[in-house]
Amino acid sequence: MKQHGKTHTNVDKEPNLKGTLISVGVLGLFIIISWVAVFAIFLSR
Amino acid sequence: MHFHKFEKIWLTFGIGALVLFLVILGYGAFYLGTHPQSHGLTIDPQNVEAHEAFKPENLGLTKVDEDRYIVNVVASAFNYDFGVDKEGNAVKHIEIPKGATVLFQVVTPDVIHGFNIAGTNVNMMVEPGYISSMEVEMNQPGEYTLLCNEYCGIGHHMMYTTVEVYE
Repeated sequence: MKQHGKTHTNVDKEPNLKGTLISVGVLGLFIIISWVAVFAIFLSR
Repeated sequence: MHFHKFEKIWLTFGIGALVLFLVILGYGAFYLGTHPQSHGLTIDPQNVEAHEAFKPENLGLTKVDEDRYIVNVVASAFNYDFGVDKEGNAVKHIEIPKGATVLFQVVTPDVIHGFNIAGTNVNMMVEPGYISSMEVEMNQPGEYTLLCNEYCGIGHHMMYTTVEVYE
């Protein structure tokens, strides 16, 4: 007996989060670079 | 609970950063002994002279050892009191040899002042009732401006003096 549509109702389609990952990554890099830069100024003085 | 694979990446990264910064904070505070410039050392603001370091004859730059100095200052509206020189004139300029370790100890009898040697890491608030102190190594020669960076009243902009680090 076939169970029509069962596999379709159980597995949700994953949203595409590639753009989100890139924007989060860019923000993270910005924070890290700023932190390192300010810390370097502190150490050099 | 289901997480998207990308969500796992940034959650791991975010929580990892939180843990890392807490570890750095703990290392600085408990192992290196770093503390705020005013950390509960109190003084009677009406009578700062009662404290040994802030008696008029102990103000200003004092050499305590080879390459070790103490600078005691009373900051008040709108002046930094470094004591007087041999002729009895108020000291308006201090000179520190390059590479010296200097302990700055500052109090105020009136309002909140700032104590910032622009271009160096010396930067602290001076609050009535507390002794603000900070030890630094002066490694870069030059003439620096020591100024008040907390608005303290009508003469705030005139509250500055100079610190020279010489070779």
